[in-house]
Amino acid sequence: MTQEMQIENYLTVLRSHLGPLTIAEREEIVLEIGAHIRDSAEQSGASMSSILARLGPAEQLAAQYREGLLIRQASRSFSPLVLLRAALRLATRGAFGIFVFFCGVFGYSFGAGFLAVALGKMIYPSHTGAWVQDGRLVSAGTFIFGVSPQAHEVLGIWIIPLGLILGSLTLLATTWAIRTSLCISQRWRARL
Amino acid sequence: MAKPRALYPDGDSPDRWEAQLRKGALEMAALASLWKGRLYGLEIIRFLENHSSLALAEGTIYPILNRLKLEGMLTSEWVEAEAGHPRKYYSLTEAGRQRLRLMAEAWFGFARGLSRLLEPVLEKQEIAK
Repeated sequence: MTQEMQIENYLTVLRSHLGPLTIAEREEIVLEIGAHIRDSAEQSGASMSSILARLGPAEQLAAQYREGLLIRQASRSFSPLVLLRAALRLATRGAFGIFVFFCGVFGYSFGAGFLAVALGKMIYPSHTGAWVQDGRLVSAGTFIFGVSPQAHEVLGIWIIPLGLILGSLTLLATTWAIRTSLCISQRWRARL
Repeated sequence: MAKPRALYPDGDSPDRWEAQLRKGALEMAALASLWKGRLYGLEIIRFLENHSSLALAEGTIYPILNRLKLEGMLTSEWVEAEAGHPRKYYSLTEAGRQRLRLMAEAWFGFARGLSRLLEPVLEKQEIAK
């Protein structure tokens, strides 16, 4: 296989793995990497195989660009799905990512839970609330079959604004934490 | 010689720690390589090899340059070269210079503080020798 064929093969694989990027971005990346390979060959005189090995597999290089795009989109997004998807990708890279992903899942679950309680109070007011018995909180939330008759509800209608505020704050804090973690992780993910 | 595993009970090693440290410094190093003027990707890689101990997988630098450009830290332009193909040159923007200045200040402040902390460790080692 000639040198030019090796270069073309590498660039074809690279291009085919840059799917989510725009055509203009893809072509610019391929042009730049092609120039890098040709300059390395001219300046170092090393074999094409060793030049391509130093560059790393085309699939891996494309994955770094794709991951950059995913994290860039996620770090501007407010969508829990987009953010959790990026956090899940981060989780494949190590303990920090796993921690971020699970914090995200718990954060969004708690946030949604608080909002659901506020909504539940509007729909099933007698079955939703926070119940106390003997000075201790025994139940909080929406219960289809009710709670112990000895317990008494303490928050009343105030559970609606409380649920809305706590739910919104938890969702916002989770979004901010994931976006910040993604930005930090991007600075630490280079392959040496 | 391999270091005894018992010294690193959590399974971590100084090599891995050093690799993490270098990864964290890579963005700063890429910006610093452009302080004196524009360079293209391969020149940045050679500059880092010659002026620092950052031996990196060559493909790593390009996604970082791409990200820094999207963040507005760098600009790029294609320049026709005698080599027969155009090269993509990168330059620092004013925002990139500002970020690099802040990073350099933070780096030296951090290094000075840690050096004071670590001086006794190395002094003890000298005495032991």
